[in-house]
Amino acid sequence: MYYIHAIASISHQDSFRNSNVYKSLTPLSDDSDVISPDFKEFIPPAALRRLSPVLRMGLAASIECRNQVATDFDAIVVGTALGCLKDTEKFLSTFLTSTSDFLSPTAFIQSTHNTIGGQISLGLNNHAYNMTHTQNNLSFEVSLMDAILCLNDGKKNVLIGAADEKIDFLATVQPDLIPNEFPLSSGASFFALSPAKSEIAIQAVSTNFNATNLLEDIGTFLDVHDISMEEIDLLLHSNDDIEAHFSPKEAINYLDFTGFHYSASSYAVHVAHDFLKYRHMAKYALVVNDLCPGKVGITLITRDEA
Amino acid sequence: MEIFITGSGTISSIGNNVAESIKSLRDQQTGIKLGAFQALPNYRVGAVPFSNAELMEKFNLTTEGSRTALLGMIAAKEAFAGHSIDPTIRTGLISGTSVGGMDMSEKEYKNFLEGTNHNPLNYRHHASGTSSEEISNELKISDFINTISTACSSAANALMMGARMIQQGMLDRVVVGGTDGLSSFTISGFKSLMIFDDEWCRPFDESRKGLNLGEGAGFLVLESEKSLVISKQTPLAKLTGWSNASDAFHQTASSPNGYGATLSMQEALNVAGLQPSDIDYINAHGTATPNNDLSESHAIKSIFKDNIPPFSSTKAYTGHTLAASGGIEAVFAIEAIRQGLLYPNLNFSTPIEETGLTPQLKFESGKTIKHVLSNSFGFGGNNSTVILSAL
Repeated sequence: MYYIHAIASISHQDSFRNSNVYKSLTPLSDDSDVISPDFKEFIPPAALRRLSPVLRMGLAASIECRNQVATDFDAIVVGTALGCLKDTEKFLSTFLTSTSDFLSPTAFIQSTHNTIGGQISLGLNNHAYNMTHTQNNLSFEVSLMDAILCLNDGKKNVLIGAADEKIDFLATVQPDLIPNEFPLSSGASFFALSPAKSEIAIQAVSTNFNATNLLEDIGTFLDVHDISMEEIDLLLHSNDDIEAHFSPKEAINYLDFTGFHYSASSYAVHVAHDFLKYRHMAKYALVVNDLCPGKVGITLITRDEA
Repeated sequence: MEIFITGSGTISSIGNNVAESIKSLRDQQTGIKLGAFQALPNYRVGAVPFSNAELMEKFNLTTEGSRTALLGMIAAKEAFAGHSIDPTIRTGLISGTSVGGMDMSEKEYKNFLEGTNHNPLNYRHHASGTSSEEISNELKISDFINTISTACSSAANALMMGARMIQQGMLDRVVVGGTDGLSSFTISGFKSLMIFDDEWCRPFDESRKGLNLGEGAGFLVLESEKSLVISKQTPLAKLTGWSNASDAFHQTASSPNGYGATLSMQEALNVAGLQPSDIDYINAHGTATPNNDLSESHAIKSIFKDNIPPFSSTKAYTGHTLAASGGIEAVFAIEAIRQGLLYPNLNFSTPIEETGLTPQLKFESGKTIKHVLSNSFGFGGNNSTVILSAL
């Protein structure tokens, strides 16, 4: 069991410092946008002007988690599918159109994927293990696996999260590259995990990069953990076929509430946590992520009554 | 649990494979040339002298991909040669990259800006994770795929992740390393930071002004002892130490005293159960930027005190291959151990005044090299160290 001791999400839902995001889930409209906290509370004004949305979201959510646990993290693991798109596009535009020998380096510096993790280390003055994983729709799940490796290695307080940002240009490529009708979105969800007990835990996470039969995969995962679908109190998925096949007690397609970004399953885990926390009879929630064909991530979240 | 290395492969401007690369190091022959990157001909870079189409044909690649993916396939295939997919060996691939498919995206985005012939399908290789999926596809590896993107420490972190997954029983065998293709994006970026030297880069020299960029890939195969019994591979060396620590000083600059680098080297020694005096050669990060080499020199002095083993940077041969560098340099470290080699640091004449360190200056063979420590430091204060050891 990998116990959740803090959570912070910035999303298209009213999620930041909302103690029960499950209860207040609202389907997104087409023109929905991120509901941001007041970033000035977390980031000095000079830095804030320089930081793109994904950096602001990742940094604020991490600082919020740090404030909740009141101990320094001994590992920081970040997942991002597409990284710092805004700065990447900005630097592309700059060097492709400029005739000057002197370009501003800020967008280049902030374009690398691990700017999010780097900014968190700077913001928290943290010298620990600092890792960034980028694996398309499974960026959050592989990060969660790394966090679990850290906890198995003996770390006591691991920050793990995922963040991705929408830029307008994505709409230009969506018809060709993102075959999905959900509105494009942004989001960041961060968690503090520890072996020390709390109410709700991540029990297991798995990835399958060669998934030919999604429904069978889910069955296998449940078998490995000796649980049946009847015991799952809430299924959070990204594919309505799953819900139709298994007829679980309760289910949501999390994309209705997150919109489409490749690390949206991280927010589903936040929703699962709050569901279990406030639904006292509930024990298990399952997050299934198949946003890219053939690539499936499954996360089991549990109330630990032992 | 011991982590065995049973394959290695590399491609860069100094060679299409391990043997050619070591020959270039032996001959003190750099791969860096003026004008080697066609789109920006006024720069000295270490380019692999083949177009993407030529790479596919020359190396018999069957999977389409960006330059980053193609270079990765070539090195990973060399590393995996002699291995086969076996359902009883859970096999993964972990690759580090910083630019992913940028070589293709930047061409297409230029079309977008100019409003001509914009084809969004050409961004399909952009995502860094996609490059690893393409490499995995070429090797038919599918049990686990992961991409690490921590700028210039990515490949070293991929080695570390692979070793930890084997240790904890999540995988039996894993292809690990890194790859990055040259792009106008990165050349323009390092130019904007004013750490791109117009002349030959001069690691650890007082007169150093910056780096020369390069491209390439370097991959290893890591295996558990259990996997070795089934795969029947002969180990080349062992991966014994690894660490990542955060400098937490500045987004791009290293702390002047090399705090993060010191933490990283010390922790890697701890993981390996070694003393500084056990290290026979250091393959330094040594990018030849004023900041890196000073900071790294201080860190090396903090760890090794007055007993600094032979050290050198091989960046003046390959150029700085960014996310690939830790993989390529791990390949060099394996051959240093197997053949008893010390690689000379090119273009050095005067020690840095503040630290006074002189790197290895001549090629030597027939040495006893049991343990090599290899550093890789990236943007974001991301400091990594791996230690490779003789069997």
